[in-house]
Amino acid sequence: MKLQEQLDAFKASFESGAPPFNVPRAAIEVMHRATEELRRSGQAERALGVAARAPAFALPNQDGQIIGSADLLARGPLVITFFRGHW
Amino acid sequence: MELEALQAVLPQIGELGASLVAISPQRLFYGRAVRRRAALEFDVLSDEGLKVTQAFGLAFTLPSYLEELYRSFGKTLDKFHGEPAYRLPLPARYVVDRQGQIHAADVTADYTVRPDPEKTLAQLRGLSANSERRIASNPTLADG
Repeated sequence: MKLQEQLDAFKASFESGAPPFNVPRAAIEVMHRATEELRRSGQAERALGVAARAPAFALPNQDGQIIGSADLLARGPLVITFFRGHW
Repeated sequence: MELEALQAVLPQIGELGASLVAISPQRLFYGRAVRRRAALEFDVLSDEGLKVTQAFGLAFTLPSYLEELYRSFGKTLDKFHGEPAYRLPLPARYVVDRQGQIHAADVTADYTVRPDPEKTLAQLRGLSANSERRIASNPTLADG
């Protein structure tokens, strides 16, 4: 299954209010409201986009080892994915 | 789900000469957990304090009503992130070329919509086709 199909299936199950998530309707509405406000804020359009210079970074990985973007780029192109977290 | 989908194409990313990293505001302990649970072979970087997230223009503060809801679900972001503010990155995927320029960007306000990894692979292929064309027209670039 394609990634977006998986996400859609998860969303349908999560928002159904049924087990295993049992999320109340009111909570779903709160989440929708927040997403809608964030969309309207236009921040996604203001974030760095194509042709901008990617900010250099040096951050700890899962083992505490510092990973630098300059070292990665010396080897080739770099894919960066920003995600919320484990929760 | 997105990280697992990217893991599935990690060999192809490598074949295209590229690397992949994931960045989240979580403390590295949680990155370790994510990596183990999803059997990820790429680095999960911890951007505690969201400095890098902010540099990309992706950091946002949750409205108080959503913070309350998350707390009630036990999603204690202050504990996960090591800061009192409830801030998150907009979900985003970038392809950066060797010169450090952003070649492709996919940023969204809706965390339930994510681009397929195939799209990222196509962007990487486009990059290597570009650089081959540049080298063909100017062979001195071959080392670059």
